[in-house]
Amino acid sequence: MAIIECVNIGKIFQRNQALNNFSAFIEENKITGLIGRNGAGKTTLLKIIAGYLKPTSGEVKVFGHNPFNNLQVSANLIFIDEHMTFPESWHLEEIFDSIGLFYPNWNKELALRLLAYFSISPKQTHNSLSKGMRSTFHAIIGLAARSPLTIFDEPTTGMDAAVRKDFYRALLKDYVEHPRTILLSSHLLNEIENILEDILLIKNGTKCLHLPVTELKNYALGLRGKADALNQFLNGKEEFYRENFAPEQSFVVVKNDFSEAELRELKKAGISTAAVPTEDVCVYLTAQSKGGISDVFNRD
Amino acid sequence: MLLNPESAKPIYVQIAEWLEGEILSGNIREDERIYSQYQLAEMFNVNPATAAKGLNLLADNNIVYKKRGLGMFVSPQAREIVRKKRQNTVLKQLVFDLVCEAERLGVSADSLAEMIQEARDQLKGEN
Repeated sequence: MAIIECVNIGKIFQRNQALNNFSAFIEENKITGLIGRNGAGKTTLLKIIAGYLKPTSGEVKVFGHNPFNNLQVSANLIFIDEHMTFPESWHLEEIFDSIGLFYPNWNKELALRLLAYFSISPKQTHNSLSKGMRSTFHAIIGLAARSPLTIFDEPTTGMDAAVRKDFYRALLKDYVEHPRTILLSSHLLNEIENILEDILLIKNGTKCLHLPVTELKNYALGLRGKADALNQFLNGKEEFYRENFAPEQSFVVVKNDFSEAELRELKKAGISTAAVPTEDVCVYLTAQSKGGISDVFNRD
Repeated sequence: MLLNPESAKPIYVQIAEWLEGEILSGNIREDERIYSQYQLAEMFNVNPATAAKGLNLLADNNIVYKKRGLGMFVSPQAREIVRKKRQNTVLKQLVFDLVCEAERLGVSADSLAEMIQEARDQLKGEN
């Protein structure tokens, strides 16, 4: 069952079109990763789903209702990002208690245990936290609220590598025990891809790809070899990326629809094939042009 | 961590192969219950849906069977199926790669066979 339905939504900020004809359906109790380049519209989309923003056009439904100004929807979702504000004079534990008033599934014990694990004192104030600790604190809130729809917008900003790893591990463990719908946006796909079920790729405010992560791994294939030998195999193939890394030598990323026989032919022709890391697939798919940064420096 | 994120093989295939290995080595016996998707998710730190896909791969090959409401169990012919499957796919592929490389290097079929025999002797010597 889809609990988030976006149909042709658009959002314009003054002159900037953040979302354009975006449609997607997100199913219940899945962890979906929202991936896109800077400025692709990730945060705008999440804020529209959370009911913080009103779309300029189109229709969005969360749990069957328009999320904007809707108490029933907001009681069932939590939106975590780095800009959450809390009263300055409150201790972290007091903040926890007030959150418990809003979220019926709130587990304060879990929140306090996580806080202790990450060496943050519950007697500190929100203001005194460092950037990474603040993100950790927000992430803990998102976990312990156990809200039916949990939205994390770049939850790991500022966290160090160890904390990021622990956080995702904690998220998965808690999800296994208490399945819920989780939407997660991040730049670092390779960190989260294993815990995701679906991936939603967004480019220039529109949906680029929405599929199970396990399929994305096989979505593209990297071919490396002599340029003219390579080109023979590329008829009718969808090409995502091409790099000429040495004279006559090319590296091409194409859609992976090769048959077993074709793959054997490739090997015979001395072309090596390689899996393309999911993160790179996303980079290629969301690139503005087919070349890379090197092209900026090539003036011929 | 047993999984190799760099590998060309999808995570669910790696999980399926790990389970096959466990069956082949006798760590999980016939008619014994195999790990659930949730146990696997915890063990490998992957989404339960990914783990389920790995289990389904085994079920498709009749290596495990489903008992309604009880979970998945290792089928009586599991080891035989795994062995045949590995022979037909993994070994064949390795041999193909081997022959390709030999061709590229201009190694004849006879000297390749010799090298294989040498490797066999080496293995026996070590055991």
